[in-house]
Amino acid sequence: METTIKVARSVFEANDSMARRNQSRMNEAGVLSLNLMSAPGSGKTTLLQRSMGRLAPERSAVLVGDLQTSRDADRLASDAVEVCQINTGKGCHLTARQVSDGLLQLRLEQISYLFIENVGNMVCPASYHLGEHYRVAALSVPEGDDKVAKYPTLFQAVDVVLLTKVDLLGVLDFEVQRVLDDLAQLNTRAELFRLSSKSGEGMEDWLGWLRSRRAALRERGGVS
Amino acid sequence: MWEQVLIESGVFEPFVAETTHGDVDVHEMAIAEDLLRQVLAAAAQNQVRRVLSVELELGVQRLIVPEALEAAFEALAEGSVAQGAVLRMVEVPLEARCGGCGAQFAPSIDDYACPRCGEAMAELLAGNDIILRSLDAETD
Repeated sequence: METTIKVARSVFEANDSMARRNQSRMNEAGVLSLNLMSAPGSGKTTLLQRSMGRLAPERSAVLVGDLQTSRDADRLASDAVEVCQINTGKGCHLTARQVSDGLLQLRLEQISYLFIENVGNMVCPASYHLGEHYRVAALSVPEGDDKVAKYPTLFQAVDVVLLTKVDLLGVLDFEVQRVLDDLAQLNTRAELFRLSSKSGEGMEDWLGWLRSRRAALRERGGVS
Repeated sequence: MWEQVLIESGVFEPFVAETTHGDVDVHEMAIAEDLLRQVLAAAAQNQVRRVLSVELELGVQRLIVPEALEAAFEALAEGSVAQGAVLRMVEVPLEARCGGCGAQFAPSIDDYACPRCGEAMAELLAGNDIILRSLDAETD
């Protein structure tokens, strides 16, 4: 017998419900979590190193997702930082399940901030919620000022844009105005921070933002 | 979780990265895995002997190449009740509500600015999801 079976479900449904569970766990533990997305080489690891160093004595944790080796994990681990490496194999993005498994290995009650370092890719990760409170796209000056326009689906979906390696602005041909113009078409809700891990420029603003969001999370028991 | 139930009952086996990926893009491969999981779950619930076709909506913002999704699905469905099933794909355009002024409008993939107030604070109502609508199947 031939029949039509109605389903009407999103293929992302299983991932999304896992993501909601991840967020509940982080809300209960009072952990502010960010999903960091960017191309490889945007300076995420150094930025994290510097950020977490300055957030100390508050403890941070990192879930690192883009590695075959433990090089980044070794760079990041310290007294104030727990690192859990997720082996993604050939995957082009992290999934909520991988993050859920990673959370089990972290002592959530002892940390304040969780940085989820997604796979270096500017297309796929935007489709997969991980349970993060905020989505962050990092773009470095050497990548070029046309990056925002080239990856509209990522930049449209994020809460924060980090323009990194701004110490190279005078050296390379990069028009910040072009990034601003492109964001005006895609996303005027996102916060933009201009940062240099090297000179320290912009770091206070970025760390202030992190601290205020964490305080708000603790007050409300979650991000609305 | 139904997914776990299916795995334990042997209806569905988790996919291994080294299967028949070939040259298929991993982006579509990941979507095809999730899609097949749902197709097999619906098939198991409805005593399906064979899935003939799968109707799905592709939101334009998910940047799916239909041919790549077909190839990935075909490879993954081999040996299951969904082997040989045809994918019937309908592209869904973007629809949004402005988070600034509340106007409803149709953004394009690279322009989400509200035509009324100019803010790009689009809350997407459609065009950003992939939805399994229905299956045509042979049942017992």
